[in-house]
Amino acid sequence: MKREVPLFITFITGILIIIALFIPHKPFGQLQTTFNDWLIIVGGFTMILGLDSLLLHNWEKIKRKKEGWLSAAFLIASFFITLFWGFGEGIFFHRNPFDASATFLRYFYTYIFVPLQSTMFSLLAFFIASAAYRAFRAKDPNSTLLLSAAALVMLGRVPGGQAVAPWIFAFVLLLLAYYFFNESKKTSGTQQTVYIILAIITLILIYPVFYILLHYLNGIADWIMNIPQMAAKRGIWIGISLGGIAMSLRIIFGIEKTYLR
Amino acid sequence: MREFLEKAGNIDRRIIYLIIFLAVATTILVKARFKSSPLPEVQRSYKIINDLPSGSVVMFSIDYDASSMPELDPMLRAMLRHCFKKNLKVIMLGHWPLGLPLGQLALDDIAREYHKKYGTDYVFLGYRPGLQAVMLNLGKEIRSVFATDYKGTPLDSLPLMRNVHNYNDIAILVGLEAGSVGDAWVQFANARFNQKIILGSTAVITPDLYPYLQAGQIVGLIGGLRGASDYETLVEHPAMASLGMASQTVVHVLIILLILLGNIGYFATRRKK
Amino acid sequence: MSISLNPWVWIAAFLTLSMMSFLYKDNIFYKIGEHIYVGSSAAFMLIYLWYFDVKPKLIDGFINNTGFSRWILIIPAFLSLLMLMRFVRPVAWISRWAIAFTVGMGAGLGITGLLQGFLVPQIKATILPLYVSGHSTLMTIYLSLNNILLILGTLSAIVYFYFSKEHTGPVKKISQIGITFIMVAFGASFGYTVMARISLLIGRVYFLLHNWLGLV
Repeated sequence: MKREVPLFITFITGILIIIALFIPHKPFGQLQTTFNDWLIIVGGFTMILGLDSLLLHNWEKIKRKKEGWLSAAFLIASFFITLFWGFGEGIFFHRNPFDASATFLRYFYTYIFVPLQSTMFSLLAFFIASAAYRAFRAKDPNSTLLLSAAALVMLGRVPGGQAVAPWIFAFVLLLLAYYFFNESKKTSGTQQTVYIILAIITLILIYPVFYILLHYLNGIADWIMNIPQMAAKRGIWIGISLGGIAMSLRIIFGIEKTYLR
Repeated sequence: MREFLEKAGNIDRRIIYLIIFLAVATTILVKARFKSSPLPEVQRSYKIINDLPSGSVVMFSIDYDASSMPELDPMLRAMLRHCFKKNLKVIMLGHWPLGLPLGQLALDDIAREYHKKYGTDYVFLGYRPGLQAVMLNLGKEIRSVFATDYKGTPLDSLPLMRNVHNYNDIAILVGLEAGSVGDAWVQFANARFNQKIILGSTAVITPDLYPYLQAGQIVGLIGGLRGASDYETLVEHPAMASLGMASQTVVHVLIILLILLGNIGYFATRRKK
Repeated sequence: MSISLNPWVWIAAFLTLSMMSFLYKDNIFYKIGEHIYVGSSAAFMLIYLWYFDVKPKLIDGFINNTGFSRWILIIPAFLSLLMLMRFVRPVAWISRWAIAFTVGMGAGLGITGLLQGFLVPQIKATILPLYVSGHSTLMTIYLSLNNILLILGTLSAIVYFYFSKEHTGPVKKISQIGITFIMVAFGASFGYTVMARISLLIGRVYFLLHNWLGLV
């Protein structure tokens, strides 16, 4: 009962949806529409799964004065205030709390909820800057390629980027040439010659790179996005889709049962 | 010199935070603006909406929340301005409960700006759970999913909705995406019902949507704050996104310089080791 | 413009600064803000569930529908009730029936969506001519090269992620080409991610400078 019935339900619904794709006529087409309608109703209830443990966990914290009880109290208070404000709008003012004139939307949502959520995510701007500075190293050809593509896209997609990029890339090439010269001093024989040649090539490259970026950076960024980037993403997503299909089949045929835990 | 380079590779994170904050704040304060021409995919999206005959129905799907509001809200506002200027009809719904009110607030603001009437020029349907199930059933009959608008008014009492039954009656679907709902729109509304779709997306997911654009599964793509500012330029109403792009340039350059500094420090230390 | 006199804007500014204070170090203002966010999100979901699901679909559906379409609603209502049994420990297991329905639907829709809406059209879009004629010589070379790169990039990226066969010999060579394309793609994605994150900060700083302090 506890396992067989759910497995049977999953199998029947999953198979029906697949059949309905190939035979959209009676009765499968109608059945799918009906099942969709049921999912619309039942699916909403998945939104509140976990609500009990969230509230209980925080209530325990307050009751036992455990560490973080004050913020737990704010969580519970904000839950009930939001709930009463939202439903109160309907009960006392007979309007949908999501009506543009409702105080719930105009005040609570705009001035409390939105600032909290958007600021929380805006912190990522600082973290990504710091992480890039700390972890982004041109250690090998692959990471150098990644870094170059990132720089070209970052500069090629912002206004004014085309004017700045040539200088940055020219500076990098100059640094590289300096690095090769320095290395050449420490070596001798063939290796020294190779380093010197590399340094000279890098120096010569400065002008064409500067010229190309100054005139075509935006086009280059467009090309990266539309050709190599797109191709790799397509490959990756085709792989992920095949994995997704396999996983769904495992669920339908009852091989994958983790959701029953 | 070497000591300086090593230190350059080891700046305290809080100093980096401060630099980034000041860079953004200063560029906003001095109202710096840099010009750029709109990206081809944004121009294409603009043209498609611009070429719609007056009275056509455009459906907006709000699939983002406040966590990506600065990118998608200006985009939505610019597109709504375009639609109302062209006398197009707007239907709005959404799949991200926490963010859907943002769409409604924007719709309300812009409709007022253009003296549009609720029910005749625009309608807000609201939200239903079930994602793909909603998309599939909208293709059969909108009323089977939304018997009423968000206020509980039956759809047939709204003049705009009287002749709108499914995707056949919707000229363009504009999905404003911060996650994977856009994929579902493409996989269900487009693949099954041939619905023309323009996706406006956060910059994070934009690269993942290029395969759809190349395959013709979507007809337009508006990516990130850059896309939003491009659209603002096209509708000749520069707003938040256009103002933000200058900060974007400054911070991008800053981050690249920081990466460079980090690498210089790294190579200086590595050589010593 | 001058500083805002709207108390709500001040509350929003206070909350914004509280959240930002995390950058210095974790502190009680950030913690409280974070918990208010979680608490109100949970309540928000409940309000949504009522106003956009239970009331219009179940209650109004039952009142306004007639005949078969009215009584059939008993099934989803029953499944929803089963879902709620999750909160009643002794009979929590019965909620699996409802979950099984949503999982089955999800799996079925997932397969059909990916097959019809992703795999087939995406593979079709990769079948491109290797030689694009009808243009100037330079354009022909450019477009043909693009198509070749597109096909090569897609196939080699797929091979790179194909772990069922050991990457040796030609497979290794192709997967090495794949990693080159993937690096470019990740670089581009990183660039775009930076753009997105900075945009979020721009939004908040704009709020502080414009809506609150009235400096812009």
